[in-house]
Amino acid sequence: MTRSIYCALLLLFSLEVGASLKVFTCESEWAALTKTIGGDLVNVFSATSANQDPHFIEARPSLIARVRRADLLVCSGAGLEVGWLPLLLRKSANPRVQPGASGHFTATSHVSLLEKPTTLDRSQGDVHAAGNPHVHLDPDRMLIIGRALRDRMVQLLPESAAQLDSNFNNFEEKLTSMLERQSVEISKLAGTNIVVHHNSWVYLTDWLQLNQVATIEPKPGIPPTSNFLASLVRQLSAISVKHIIRAGYQNPRASKWLAGRIETPVRVLPYSPENWETEGALILWYQQILETLVLKGERE
Amino acid sequence: MNLEGLDPGILGPAFVAGLLVLATHIPLGQEVIRRGIIFIDLAIAQFAGVGVILAATLGFETHGIEVQAIALTSALMGAALLGLTERLVGEYQEALIGVGFVLAATAGILLLAGNPQGGEHLRELLVGQILWVEWHQLLIPAVISVAVILNWYFLPRLLKGHFFYFLFALSITASVQLVGIYLVFASLIIPALATIRIEGSQRATILALVTGALAYALGLIFSAVMDLPSGASIVWMMAVCGVLVASLSRWLPFFAKEF
Repeated sequence: MTRSIYCALLLLFSLEVGASLKVFTCESEWAALTKTIGGDLVNVFSATSANQDPHFIEARPSLIARVRRADLLVCSGAGLEVGWLPLLLRKSANPRVQPGASGHFTATSHVSLLEKPTTLDRSQGDVHAAGNPHVHLDPDRMLIIGRALRDRMVQLLPESAAQLDSNFNNFEEKLTSMLERQSVEISKLAGTNIVVHHNSWVYLTDWLQLNQVATIEPKPGIPPTSNFLASLVRQLSAISVKHIIRAGYQNPRASKWLAGRIETPVRVLPYSPENWETEGALILWYQQILETLVLKGERE
Repeated sequence: MNLEGLDPGILGPAFVAGLLVLATHIPLGQEVIRRGIIFIDLAIAQFAGVGVILAATLGFETHGIEVQAIALTSALMGAALLGLTERLVGEYQEALIGVGFVLAATAGILLLAGNPQGGEHLRELLVGQILWVEWHQLLIPAVISVAVILNWYFLPRLLKGHFFYFLFALSITASVQLVGIYLVFASLIIPALATIRIEGSQRATILALVTGALAYALGLIFSAVMDLPSGASIVWMMAVCGVLVASLSRWLPFFAKEF
């Protein structure tokens, strides 16, 4: 018994050996990106998995412990984690990852954001004042963020600059060539009419030039009224909609209800890369999204 | 298995928050069970929530202390109303408290239809998370706990009368934001219920406190080691400790008797 505890402890510590940067990420897309660029140089922990709503999170002791030990924190920012990250940072009291420190990296501060409200109107629901934070759905923005993240990691690990650089270049090359291979398919998607569960896909529609004709739950967290649903059905029966898109973590009932009425299939897209630890997780995830929209769209 | 969460710096404030909640909720819980009005805490917490939503709907920009004042005022008004039902309907009070709960909860939804921002306030008020608690946040709950305990110790008469509703609203409004509604309910009912067969009110109260404190300690350790949400872990530990203490007092006669 004692021996097995020693073994477990030894294993616990040996996992740390070799990894020189402990990274805490809020969402799995940033875990995948950090792992892609950092490779063996980083030890990554993701607070949420692909099938979790990153707006909300249950407090677990390990989360605080992880932030406490982290050298680098990578999150979306722009208000996405506002419900829990400030509390977590304050509880951790880790100066290395506080806002403003070099160990605090927010993806949204490196790219232009869509849906930046011109006037901040509180009646529109949980609107993010800084703009829509779900930038990871656009591969172009992902590359810009990846470049900034590489620079930040070089700043923290100057002696490994060459390796970080080559890891990033490798990722950039693979992603660009995948997108080039799929460019014909991608161009075919332009103008496709889609309905979304709620407004969390703007960067996807921006990238693929999809045409978002309606939102089932315009005010997040507030069930749509019967009036709204009736007008939605009326509006949508007049045009042809190809897909109803919903994230894995969103409740299926509303989209199912609508699908039955306008005879349009619901596509459940992975909102973040699953199995972010595996190599090429990000590229695979973009491919999955493309395949779902292109292949399934063609078959019907 | 996960041992890094076992850090007194992480679990300490949460445990002390639990002790503060237990200190007021156990005597209140005994009284709630005696009166047979178990769901009063859910109703009062909802009243506090509706007050905050209403203030936001009427256009008040509420922050910090104002939110607290509004929450407390509406909780007190709700408590006064529920106190009134005791006098008016007597035996059907529990049913009316249940009705009060659903009315308050759904009033929140109706008001929120026009003002989604209030939803965040409601969440903040109802789903406090025990692990996020910091030392300085324990000051006001500590003052309230001391006041309630002094009151209960020196003027126990007041707890039996209508003043009970006032103390109750005060304690619940503070504790729900600290540890969340599920833990408040568990802390209120389970230790008091587990020790209900024990003779001697002081002995029962002390045993209830021990049961509750043990549950908070074990629950926090369990959630750290198993990497599970802390609030829910503590609630389940509370049930386990409660069953244990209740069966001890049932099957071991000397355990339940006064020395």
